Amino acid sequence: MPASASSAPPPPTHSRREDLIGRLSSSSTEAKLKALRDLKNQIIGNRTKKLCFLKLGAVPSVTSILSSSSAAAASGPACAGDDVELNDSLIIQSAAAIGSFACGFDDGVKAVLDAGAFPLLLRLISYPNDKVVGAAARSLKFIYQSKLAPRYDFLQGNNMEFIQSLLNSENENVTGLGASIITHSCQTNMEQKALSDAGIIKKLTCMLGGSVTQKDASLESLATILKGNPDVISKFMEPENGGALGTVTELTKDKNARTRLLACICLIVIKNSAPFCLQDLRIKTKLILILLELLEDDQVGDEAPFALSSLIAEKEDLQVLAFEANVIDKLVNHLRKGPLLSRRLEGILIALANMCSRQECCRDRLLSLEAMKFVTDALSQDSGEVRAAACFCLKNVSRSVKNLSAGLFMNESFVIPLVRLLFDELTFVQVSALDAISNIVVDFLANKTMFIQCGGVKQLVQLSKSMDSTIRVKAVCALRNLTFLVNDKCKEEILSELTQLTLRSLICDPEACVQEQALALVRNLVDGPLDSIQHVFAEDALLLHAVGQQLQSASKAEVFIQGMYVFTNVASGNEVHKEAVMQELFPPLANDSESIMFKFLHSDDSRLRTAAVWALVNLTFPSSCGAVGRVMKLRNAGIVSQLKNMVNDPCLDVKLRARTALGQSMTFGDGST
Amino acid sequence: MPVRVVEASSALSQPSGGTSGNTLPSACTLLSVGQAFSGTQNVSSQQKDEAWRVNVRIQGCDLDHGYLCGTMEALNVPMADTPVVTFWEGEIVDTKNYTFFTGKWGATSEDDIKHWTKFPSFSPLLSQVEVDAGKSLDLSNYPYIFMRWKEQYFVNVGTDCGLTIAGFYYVCFSCSDGSISGFYYDPNSSPFQKLELKSTNEGRLGFSFSSYELQ
Repeated sequence: MPASASSAPPPPTHSRREDLIGRLSSSSTEAKLKALRDLKNQIIGNRTKKLCFLKLGAVPSVTSILSSSSAAAASGPACAGDDVELNDSLIIQSAAAIGSFACGFDDGVKAVLDAGAFPLLLRLISYPNDKVVGAAARSLKFIYQSKLAPRYDFLQGNNMEFIQSLLNSENENVTGLGASIITHSCQTNMEQKALSDAGIIKKLTCMLGGSVTQKDASLESLATILKGNPDVISKFMEPENGGALGTVTELTKDKNARTRLLACICLIVIKNSAPFCLQDLRIKTKLILILLELLEDDQVGDEAPFALSSLIAEKEDLQVLAFEANVIDKLVNHLRKGPLLSRRLEGILIALANMCSRQECCRDRLLSLEAMKFVTDALSQDSGEVRAAACFCLKNVSRSVKNLSAGLFMNESFVIPLVRLLFDELTFVQVSALDAISNIVVDFLANKTMFIQCGGVKQLVQLSKSMDSTIRVKAVCALRNLTFLVNDKCKEEILSELTQLTLRSLICDPEACVQEQALALVRNLVDGPLDSIQHVFAEDALLLHAVGQQLQSASKAEVFIQGMYVFTNVASGNEVHKEAVMQELFPPLANDSESIMFKFLHSDDSRLRTAAVWALVNLTFPSSCGAVGRVMKLRNAGIVSQLKNMVNDPCLDVKLRARTALGQSMTFGDGST
Repeated sequence: MPVRVVEASSALSQPSGGTSGNTLPSACTLLSVGQAFSGTQNVSSQQKDEAWRVNVRIQGCDLDHGYLCGTMEALNVPMADTPVVTFWEGEIVDTKNYTFFTGKWGATSEDDIKHWTKFPSFSPLLSQVEVDAGKSLDLSNYPYIFMRWKEQYFVNVGTDCGLTIAGFYYVCFSCSDGSISGFYYDPNSSPFQKLELKSTNEGRLGFSFSSYELQ
């Protein structure tokens, strides 16, 4: 039988939620309590509902209940026993609802902080009712798990005692809160030392024998206190801490996956911060194997590759161990299982990148597994973090000169998505793409036209004008690498896009690192066939003068070195070129003894002395007809005398070049007559 | 040249006990990335005299790992229509990453000594190499760099080109003038094929240097 037409349809979802919000303001305590419970049940673990109620203003309403019920409790024994109980329930439920909003949800944390709930919760930690204390501590713990939580100042007043009191509590939520505050707020070496001096490590170590929650909270806090601080680590290793290292090591075998992961992270922090600890090869291998196993875990599988990365990053010995443990194959197997969620994919790509940062065998293995397809696919993923991680991986794989020489990366499958990422809306993705491009364009097969045709140069030139100096320096570095051993046609195309004026402004950039890359670019431009030198003589020798001016005014050795190699390369040309370099090094009206050449020959940096002496080798090159005049000039400027002082330079390269330059100078007489 | 031998002897030293300074060969700009060399490889056999013109370009250099690599182009190879380009990787004998003893590629320590002693600049080192493969030598100020170059793959022709890259080169580089001498070693090829290269300046009146920086 059809339902009665007169029966009212259920209210729409939206109005049901508004109704619930309305009930939070009810004059009846019981109704409020029920509304709080309903609210809490609806939002637990449901981000969408949290957001809906957030928009409806639920957090200020709940905070208002917490505030009034806390105030009522503080006003003393005015209410009867049942009322006290009811009031405490209101406090507990409102605190719990606030905690639910804050749990794993930054928008919720922000709303909670904005509504002023934080100080209310903090005051409740000293409330006489243990259940109230537990509820408040739990909510505060969730807040402290967010980056948005205020930093706790351990060094101020009695704050350290408060932390000690939290960790001394019998209540698990309270000790967990203490640990969370440390994990969130301890950042400086001074804070780490203060916590260590206050005996916090011992308290945290005791918690390692507690419940799963306590173990995990303690491991996280310990990692925070130990990170980058060998002194505190030494203290941690002392016997008075009850063999804490052994306990943490044991926890890498715990049945709970998260505990195993956190124990591994703690050991990695110790290993990375104090290399004298954990020398045992077995523990290193064990860490690698555990982290590989944790990759399979649903709960912590996303975080395991990040922990693996922190273990192996920039450490060749560990990369070799990981390689022998088949880490590359296992990571690639995960990629094959795809599609993976963003966080997992990002972590795996970063771990692969770190594996390939130094070892050629790792790069070879990754390539032989035909895994680069996953990397190129990831270049076009929705997640910016994944795109950047894919670039990072590509950057490290393309550090292989062997593969660059084989022209392995200069093809459309890599170049097109990478060039597209130069337009990415996220700066960190652009930076990551620039790094990968810088390597790929080194390509020794001189197939660089393809990169230009894909619009790569055009966009690199745009980025070289960025206001962000990191982007600028990386864009210029990519152009520099592109210009390495490139043919004339490509040089022309690069210069026509870049223009002499832009290149001059990059040589004179306010940032020394940009100047260095721009000068290295010019150095490459004037290398190769003799005609290439003409590039710095265009537009009234705009670039050559800019190099000269920069060498007079710069202050960083790397800038001088690149600038001197520009002059060296130009001075390897014909008479006009050599004379132009002489003019830049010894301007007509300047005092020769203050010349930059004189300064560079006296530099403490052997690389700069080498570059300077090479310029002299070219300027005194015997088969050039003007050499005799230049030698005379150099002799008058005291340069030849200085060369005599350098024939036993401690740097072999300098010594040999100084002897060559001096020998060439002497072919025109020793200047004694 | 006698001068060089004398200089070589005086530049050679053994690290004193407890010294932890750098004993690796120092950086030499003439052996840096982008540098080019040209010369010949003598491939004469008992039947006929023959030499191939050879061009070499340095593409990568990592002194910390004793690593060098580049390409080698053989120009007038009889059985090839085009110049044959191979990619090679080099082991720099730095006594840390690599010693004078090859220990692979079919070369015995006798083969090693037999080839190294063909370089006059090796003679001051011989006695110590016989003792400990030269592990205790300080080569940081020695004006010659000893290397082994092993071709890894053909860049522009297939493996069916009728040529072999099974062997490797014993190489001696002179830091003074950038000249390179080498001997090809392959038990199945003519012995002691000599490689002789000089630093090229591509029509310039002087030396030119380019560079790149991997990220």
